[in-house]
Amino acid sequence: MRKQFKSTVMELAARDEKIVVLLGDVSVYLFNDFKTSYPDRFYNLGICESTLISVGAGLSLRGLRPFIHTIAPFITERCYEQIKLDLCYNRLGGNIVSCGSSFDYAWDGATHHSYGDLALMRLLPEMEVFQPGSGKELEVLIKKRYHSGKPAYYRLSDHPHQVDLDVEYGRGVVIKDCGADLTVVTAGPLLANVLEACKDLDVNILYFHTIKPIDSELIQLYSHTTFLIIQESHGLQEAVNQEAGVKSFAHGTPEGFCNCYGTLADVRKNLRLDPGSIKAVAQGLLCK
Amino acid sequence: MNDICKKIRGDILKISHSSGHGHIPSCFSVVEALYSVYSTMRHEPQNPRWEKRDIFVLSKGHAALAHYCVLAHFNYFDLKRVYAFGAFGSDFGCHADRTKVPGVEVSTGSLGHGIGVAAGVALGMKINRAKSRVYVLVGDGESNEGSVWEAVMVAVNRGLDNLTIIYDNNRSQGRGLQLKKPVEIFKAFGCDAFEVDGHNVDMLCQALSAESERVKAIVANTVKGFGCKTLTDDHYQWHRRSPSREELIKMLEELDEKAV
Repeated sequence: MRKQFKSTVMELAARDEKIVVLLGDVSVYLFNDFKTSYPDRFYNLGICESTLISVGAGLSLRGLRPFIHTIAPFITERCYEQIKLDLCYNRLGGNIVSCGSSFDYAWDGATHHSYGDLALMRLLPEMEVFQPGSGKELEVLIKKRYHSGKPAYYRLSDHPHQVDLDVEYGRGVVIKDCGADLTVVTAGPLLANVLEACKDLDVNILYFHTIKPIDSELIQLYSHTTFLIIQESHGLQEAVNQEAGVKSFAHGTPEGFCNCYGTLADVRKNLRLDPGSIKAVAQGLLCK
Repeated sequence: MNDICKKIRGDILKISHSSGHGHIPSCFSVVEALYSVYSTMRHEPQNPRWEKRDIFVLSKGHAALAHYCVLAHFNYFDLKRVYAFGAFGSDFGCHADRTKVPGVEVSTGSLGHGIGVAAGVALGMKINRAKSRVYVLVGDGESNEGSVWEAVMVAVNRGLDNLTIIYDNNRSQGRGLQLKKPVEIFKAFGCDAFEVDGHNVDMLCQALSAESERVKAIVANTVKGFGCKTLTDDHYQWHRRSPSREELIKMLEELDEKAV
């Protein structure tokens, strides 16, 4: 997905001279050709997330369209107030694009895990929040919204799902509707595990790539059913539950730190987000 | 004291008395700096969004009342409007909102933000090949925040010679974390740094106009509450206090006594 990010920005920059890339010393090698093509629109500012955001806000004040990119926990949690005030409160547009979200850096431990970012960004006034599950989804969303004049958070993943979906900004996707009383809801790359888990189950499946604004209309359409929200990050649960009349169970996001290492698959299994565990949770609800 | 700066201090006192709001000692330490910046920079008060204007950012946002009074002096709006300072429905909050007040470029309040945004504006001017300059006024207390020095490092590293930092050295952190030798610190970071009497308009204007090939850092040595003995005698007590009618009369008299 990171490669898709770079190629999308590269493509847009060819026709939009207002695009500026700000890196926090991450993905620098990936953007080598961007730097060569647009040397005055590429800045690896260094390891200074607060200033990355503030400088991005300053660029936006001059009519430029910054893409601000570094690792998820650092570009959201460390500089939360800069995002809140310099971008959101000042009513300035800017594209924050993170990598290493959720447990992409599983082996690095809790300092590098990031499962609060979507929920935190969602709380900020003005902010739009995207959790694309594939490079295709990322491309659609960036092209649609990068110049909206609003601050936006795009969350990349090193483990995209392989499902080819046609997506539209602000719209959820009905993956399966079998008229069931249980609707499994998920977002982003975890869709792969959810599909595997639910392939033999009589459940509806809804998928979201846009966490904010959430597709209220779609949620309302299924609000007569029970929702099972499968997530490896906070954010989706809160977005779904803001809708009136929703009855939901959330599964997957841990309370406390995730004190284990290993691979993404190891952590997901530990959190019971592997297909077998998700299936067991869904079956448990179906039997109720 | 410059007559205009004395008048602006009087406005600050009257509005603070009337509204019950204001950080008067902090406002008084920056009056000459604000007046000098707006006397030096390129701007058109009747056309606040003029494309070729220079940009000023008040990073120490709690001095907003001083900023409003200076903007009113330069005819951005009528001073009468500022008497609604901090009131419900007013455009003039105790920290400024750029979407409400003509001439305010960045909404500030939380410390350590304005300088980073100013660095971004300066970088944006470079990218757009604009000839404008950016001026940012930071407090010495504010400079306890690490984000200030992050921004200085980035500005120096990017060669932002169109950025001028005015450091209000009013020793506000005497009981906390007071930075000693700020000129040396700015120099060590790679700025073109020097100090001036922050209450001397001529010196400030000269420093602001001086050519520089690097990020310029003007350390303005100032006094909290400058111009009023009541304030300078105990600026901590007056940090967020507004004068009563009797106190206002006394302080206006003190301002007159100080007049040069």
